Amino acid sequence: MNDNIRKLGYLFLALFTVLMLYMGYLNVVVGPTLATDPHNRRLAAAEEAIIRGAIYDRRGALLAEDRVIGGAKVRVYPRGRETAHLLGFVSRQYGRTGLESAFDSYLLAMDDAGKVRAVFDRILGRQRYGYNVGLTIDAGLQRLALNMLGSRSGAVVAIDPKTGAVLAMVSSPAFDPGSIEEVVRTESVTKNGKTQEIKTTRYDILKTKTDSAPLLNRAARGLYPPGSTFKVITGAGALEAAGQKTGRTVECKGSITVDGFVLKDTGVHGKVGFNEAVAVSCNSYFGELGLELGEEGLKRAAGSFGFELLDYEGKTGGMGKYPVVSAEIPYNPGTLPADRMSPPEAASTAIGQGRTLVSPMQMALVAAGIANGGVVMKPLVMEKVVDRSGGIHKKMSPVALYTAVSPETARDLSAAMEDGVRRGTASQAAISGIRVAGKTGSAQNPHGQTHAWFIGFAPADNPGIAVAVVVENAGGGGYVATPVAREIIREYLSK
Amino acid sequence: MISAGEESRKYEIKLLVLAGLYLAAGAYAGYLWRDGDARSVLVGASVPALGFLLVAVVWQALKFRADPFLLPVVAMLSYTGLVFLYRLNPFYALRQFFWMIIGLFFLFLTTRLFTNYRRLSEYKYIYALMGALALITPIFLGVEQGGAKSWLDFGYFHIQPSEFVKILVVLFLASFMSENKMVLTQDTEFFRGFYFPGPRAWGPLLGMWGISLLLLVFQRDLGAALIYFGTFLAMVYVATARMLYISIGVGLFMTGGALSYLLFDHVRIRVNIWLLNPYGFFELGDEAYNQAYQVIQSLFAIGAGGITGTGLGGGFPMFIPAVHTDFIFSAITEEMGLLGGIAIVLLYILFIFRGLKAAMESRDDFSKLLAAGLTALMGLQAFTIIAGVTKLLPLTGVTLPFISYGGSSLVANFIILGMLMNISHEARIHE
Repeated sequence: MNDNIRKLGYLFLALFTVLMLYMGYLNVVVGPTLATDPHNRRLAAAEEAIIRGAIYDRRGALLAEDRVIGGAKVRVYPRGRETAHLLGFVSRQYGRTGLESAFDSYLLAMDDAGKVRAVFDRILGRQRYGYNVGLTIDAGLQRLALNMLGSRSGAVVAIDPKTGAVLAMVSSPAFDPGSIEEVVRTESVTKNGKTQEIKTTRYDILKTKTDSAPLLNRAARGLYPPGSTFKVITGAGALEAAGQKTGRTVECKGSITVDGFVLKDTGVHGKVGFNEAVAVSCNSYFGELGLELGEEGLKRAAGSFGFELLDYEGKTGGMGKYPVVSAEIPYNPGTLPADRMSPPEAASTAIGQGRTLVSPMQMALVAAGIANGGVVMKPLVMEKVVDRSGGIHKKMSPVALYTAVSPETARDLSAAMEDGVRRGTASQAAISGIRVAGKTGSAQNPHGQTHAWFIGFAPADNPGIAVAVVVENAGGGGYVATPVAREIIREYLSK
Repeated sequence: MISAGEESRKYEIKLLVLAGLYLAAGAYAGYLWRDGDARSVLVGASVPALGFLLVAVVWQALKFRADPFLLPVVAMLSYTGLVFLYRLNPFYALRQFFWMIIGLFFLFLTTRLFTNYRRLSEYKYIYALMGALALITPIFLGVEQGGAKSWLDFGYFHIQPSEFVKILVVLFLASFMSENKMVLTQDTEFFRGFYFPGPRAWGPLLGMWGISLLLLVFQRDLGAALIYFGTFLAMVYVATARMLYISIGVGLFMTGGALSYLLFDHVRIRVNIWLLNPYGFFELGDEAYNQAYQVIQSLFAIGAGGITGTGLGGGFPMFIPAVHTDFIFSAITEEMGLLGGIAIVLLYILFIFRGLKAAMESRDDFSKLLAAGLTALMGLQAFTIIAGVTKLLPLTGVTLPFISYGGSSLVANFIILGMLMNISHEARIHE
């Protein structure tokens, strides 16, 4: 019987060991996610007891801080609309969004060192401070981008291709995150003999604007057809498949016909090679490439840049949930339909129409990947986390996300995109003394004029910045989106 | 190694003094944080510490030879409970204080009155009757607390009979199994070449399954059902070492579980909550969130603890409903961190180790079965509730032995400790 008892003991030891390992997993691995879950009332409670950390840009310009105004702690955003979607807000009423929510654990000093310090601070009756967060963001670029977009809806994303550091992320229309709780009007409503005061805040109004959706961070979560910017991906697929610079030429007659479906071109380009086709954005050439790559080839090429497949029509049971890439700023990856494509659809997908959807962040990553020799770096916005005495708690460490294409393919694409700026549709991006590479797009959509797109990077020989710009229903990419990108590139590289 | 003899009590007293220092530190931290009344904190901490010591000293005088580690482990667990209850709500700490004194008294009483515990094996059908009565009474006269209708209202306090019935169940099973061991291990040929146990073995198996289901259905007490049945299986294994019984038992339990999942909303809800992904809490709709509120709050508390914890008083365990009873482990992990949580688990492992050691040291089947059964009961209960509040398993509401607030549970557990001590004493006295 003793043997049985011993075995029972081993069983208990095994059970409790599993329990302890699981507890370790829960506390250490899942803990940080739980700690910053917006449902977690500890966040609001912790907020009471602490001066929330400040947020700075890459040059130390203040973007957010706690100030005591009239005896009350107030979160102040000196750059207001310029950093609205990027930073988000913290509000008891309206929740926690953007980087304010993502970086709660730093801003409220919720790491282990912070917890130990909290014990001493409490005993000694000292004021507690959260850590300050330094971003990779350039506040100057934020302002420029928002000004350039002006009253138009759209988004701008700029990335350092070598590190993945996000330099700018702007969405228009914007809002002032500091005043969302401000009451704009109070109405007295009498109902069943009771008079109630109904207060309408700025947030309530922002929320009702479903057409312009000012609360939506278009840069990360906006979904657009990519238009001709997708030709870069089709081209990448073709170059990778050929294993070398494709010598193919196509006689562009102004349109191609696939199974009776006519794919129109912007003009009759005559005999075009690869670089020429990218530069003039020839639909016939890329339509042909798309047919040659086929559905599989297109999906593989897009997949290597991080695109995912989505069941748009719910053919395999229920509308697929739009995927989100978890990062400091969660963003939507590009998506292609999971179901079969007909040859005409493959041809239109190759030129960026079809059912493809992308976020500006996704397209910025495509440009950044080509700029960085084919390697897409993970987009990061936190450069460092610093406590009040200057001690560094965390530093950004760049990490590769995908190897999208070979260095040779990247070089060839870069050369073709340079041609696009030198003598093609992206000529508005030209800056004297800087080699700029770019690709425009004019994405057809059901809401009116085309969405204007530009993706590109500079300097082409040693890229410092990659940019994606989209302006909604504003016309052609070459004249609408490209100048926005040019000014951002010029501004950033002049510093 | 510490052998039997008076030496062992000296170890016990030394360890209890160390445990007393732990309580003193906890009481001081609690006092500072709560800015409490110095005199009541002093009394509240020193009386239990002295109480435990007194028990050990009297045992020494009576040449009681039982295991010297069980009492200090229990002291550590009880002190942790007391400190955390004071931190959560001094009212609960005060009541727990009285119950702890009563518990110690019962512990001492058990070790005095039932030294000749083997006699207890003669009254097994009385236990069965008493147990059944005690379980059935609350179905008709009981009041509901925390979703389980398993309490009897006595005005100033509530008694939860199932806490005491668990002792009767183990006593009954130990008597029955030690008496029918031969029957249990012999096979009746049932069908050419396949051997199956006869009806005398099936009887109690089905009986226990029935009791578990009864608890489940009428009292909605999932936790108790799980623990009773688990203890039963552990004892069957110790008695027979036959995996066939265990497999059938687990099969029956699974069937019961599956049926109750299909039949009862409250079971289905528990299981659905268990299946939630902690990385997806932020996406939950209001209804799903409110349903899983308690477990999610528990995980938030545990997650807030990190490795070192927020320190006593530094966290927000009050956000968890019923934190002082079933969820006290989450409060401990929030404020003492992963390290504190693991320390508690290690204390239970130590308790199980010493309990099973007592079982192995004793020389008759009844003692072995009784000690192993009581230890398994304690271990299963600790495991069930810790796994429940951490969402390793679906949540079933039971108390965390010696730590959770609750008089019935505390007194019952002290009686179990007393019986283990008796068995250990009996084994060592003949060495």
